[in-house]
Amino acid sequence: MAVSLLVCMSAYAQQAQETKEAPATAPIAASKEAAKEVKSFAVYSDSKSSDNHYIPSGWMGDYGDLSMDDKYMSEPHSGSTCIKFVYTAKKTQNQGWGGVYWQNPANNWGSKKGGFDLSGLNKLTFWAKGAKGGEIIDKIVVGGLKGTYPDTTEVSMGPIELTSQWQQYTVNLAGKDLSYINGALSWVVNADSNPNGATFYMDDIKFEYDPALKPTGKKTQEMPFYVYADRGSISNHFIPSGWMGDYSDLKIDVGSTENPYFGKTCIKITYLNKASNGARWVGIYWQNPPNNWGGVDGGFDLSKATKVTFWARGEKGGERIEEFKIGGIMGEYSDSDTAGIGPVILDKDWKQYTIDLKGKDLSYIIGGFAMATNLDVNPDGATFYLDEIKYE
Amino acid sequence: MLLFVVGFCLTGMGKAPSAKAVYVKTLKNGHYQLMVDNKPFIIKGVCYSPIPIGQGHDYDFWSNAAKPWETDGALMKKMGVNTVRFYQPGENLDTVKKVIADLYEHYGIRTIMGSWLGFWNYPAPFYDDAAFREKVKQDVLNMVRALKDEKGILFWVLGNENNYSFSGKINPWSSERIDKMGDPRQCLLARAEVYYSLINEIAQEIHKIDPDHPVAMGNGELACLDVANKTAKDVDILACIIYRGKTFGNIFNSLKTTYNKPLVLIEFGCDAYNAYEKKEDEEDQAAFLESQWSEIYKNLANNPSGAGNCIGGTTFEWTDEWWKHNDWDPNGWSVHDTESNWSNAAYYFDIKAERNMNMNEEWFGILGLQKAEGDALDKRIPRKAYYVIREFWKHPYDVKAATKKNNHGA
Repeated sequence: MAVSLLVCMSAYAQQAQETKEAPATAPIAASKEAAKEVKSFAVYSDSKSSDNHYIPSGWMGDYGDLSMDDKYMSEPHSGSTCIKFVYTAKKTQNQGWGGVYWQNPANNWGSKKGGFDLSGLNKLTFWAKGAKGGEIIDKIVVGGLKGTYPDTTEVSMGPIELTSQWQQYTVNLAGKDLSYINGALSWVVNADSNPNGATFYMDDIKFEYDPALKPTGKKTQEMPFYVYADRGSISNHFIPSGWMGDYSDLKIDVGSTENPYFGKTCIKITYLNKASNGARWVGIYWQNPPNNWGGVDGGFDLSKATKVTFWARGEKGGERIEEFKIGGIMGEYSDSDTAGIGPVILDKDWKQYTIDLKGKDLSYIIGGFAMATNLDVNPDGATFYLDEIKYE
Repeated sequence: MLLFVVGFCLTGMGKAPSAKAVYVKTLKNGHYQLMVDNKPFIIKGVCYSPIPIGQGHDYDFWSNAAKPWETDGALMKKMGVNTVRFYQPGENLDTVKKVIADLYEHYGIRTIMGSWLGFWNYPAPFYDDAAFREKVKQDVLNMVRALKDEKGILFWVLGNENNYSFSGKINPWSSERIDKMGDPRQCLLARAEVYYSLINEIAQEIHKIDPDHPVAMGNGELACLDVANKTAKDVDILACIIYRGKTFGNIFNSLKTTYNKPLVLIEFGCDAYNAYEKKEDEEDQAAFLESQWSEIYKNLANNPSGAGNCIGGTTFEWTDEWWKHNDWDPNGWSVHDTESNWSNAAYYFDIKAERNMNMNEEWFGILGLQKAEGDALDKRIPRKAYYVIREFWKHPYDVKAATKKNNHGA
């Protein structure tokens, strides 16, 4: 499945410099010859343009945290307007994330026929910038709406970190079935990555055809590759979204400042002994994309990893975790392998643990990390901390 | 040594020196091949527990006057099945011998015979108790002595998913010696060592009294095989129980670094009931089974695109078993329950069922059952999977293409 983020040269150079890592993909070659051949189909070009084919009507998650001005006139990328989005991260609906889908017709979540046949086009491009720079868009998704009239493809990419200058971003759709697209694109932001909210701008969103663009496979990621580094870090690649068992009894604070092992924050996990959902056990998966139980294409090629390391400590010492593991999510898009350790009894002090990955097929990992334990071995519940979870 | 020589002579008395009837051959390329009568043999099998509608788990099907194995044997032969797997013999080994002989002589179907190793004994399988170990060992050896000369025997399987007891997930057991270790991980590993050492002892004993048939070890998934690698070296074949949906994932390659033995998928499959749409679903069952068999074939010896360590499989299972949901309640044994017993997202087509409970234990048959009049044999109704796998075995398609098709949409 080809999912890649292609940015123009300036943005690419800046990001590479900041992260001191190899770029995700090569930048688009801008040539006059290629430009002549480009066919395009606008999602949004200007507020009153008759070329706009989709409506940003699908508000998701903490929709009360979102506001939009699609006639924002200050310094658009082109024309007279752009779209300004404000995300407050107040968690008005207790979701911890928010997002907007461009749909056709408005508010069509797949229940009615609409959309467009975009066959013949092979990429989506848009321009974006942040009010300050550093705003993190968790993911951009093209297609992916289900229902009676589902989109014929779903491609996602991200996270991306915006700068304060307009940059162009590209979603590679080469080789995808675009014969029915109702959800042109959506963006998702979350409160962990943007704890103080985010204000950002988008403009000139369109589908295009680029004859030079080829389908790309999943890139083999370089090591180390973080599951969790620090709250809001762009290095975090998986989200603790896969709640299992007595999920009501589990509280996860990914921004705990209680004696982190490294950096400013660690993860604090509190497990109450209530058996609220009747399971008497609890667990959580760090997934990519969030809530992916194997139903959508996602994840990473982590073939270069030979182990996962992480640091853990118990609040009192003696907390027992039945299993720490990676992979093992099975679905239409299954993890390519699984490995784990356990049971583990935590010390009061930070201790590093290692999951051996030698001989494992890590070419497709959507469940980057997971833990599970139960009340039989923690009758009073448990509070414990995790930090620096990474593939090496 | 003297005793060994005498024993060997006695065992071989009256037979001309000959190659083993069944053995595993390691090829020059490191691949494994099961050899039967000196010819390569691919296990194209099914798990076989012909419990009639209205009967429960303690029913002695070996003594069923309707002889279900004759009807089933004919249908199996037409499909291309060459092996059945029994989990455990009945108490009367004479009737067991008769069934094995009938299947082989009339239909050419060989038997993989298993033993639970006392796993379901009450109160628990105390594998660290010397007396319990000895009893289990003698029970198995008695079975082997009684059945080993049946021409239809293919090999023995020790245990099933007994390794899940190491963590206490099912049938928890331990001992004072182990409990004293304190650290739960150490306790788990100690239980694994204890159990796999028993497996090894039994395998060694079987080899002495029955050199003609390999010994396989049943194991749920690949859990704890790193311990088995040190402790159960005398096992000939690994027999895994795997429920990973359409695919077996990386187990073929993964085994090479943990427990490098020939692999038979001794239990795998897909139920034929869609718990989300609440209706029988032959299509998805057939598609999943075809995909599973394509991976088995891909990893047989001498297929350059696979690991070369697979020797075949036995699909779970031949017919539905109507007693399995709430198996303690005889009132349910005559009802084909549609309530799910467990959840497995790898069977994604119905994972959106209520509470994600999508696995229907009574619907795993590639043949459905229909109640017949009186004591007559329940009618067998082949599902689509029967025909799809029959055609696959006749013409195994290009597994390379199939793998590409199933490979994450790439």
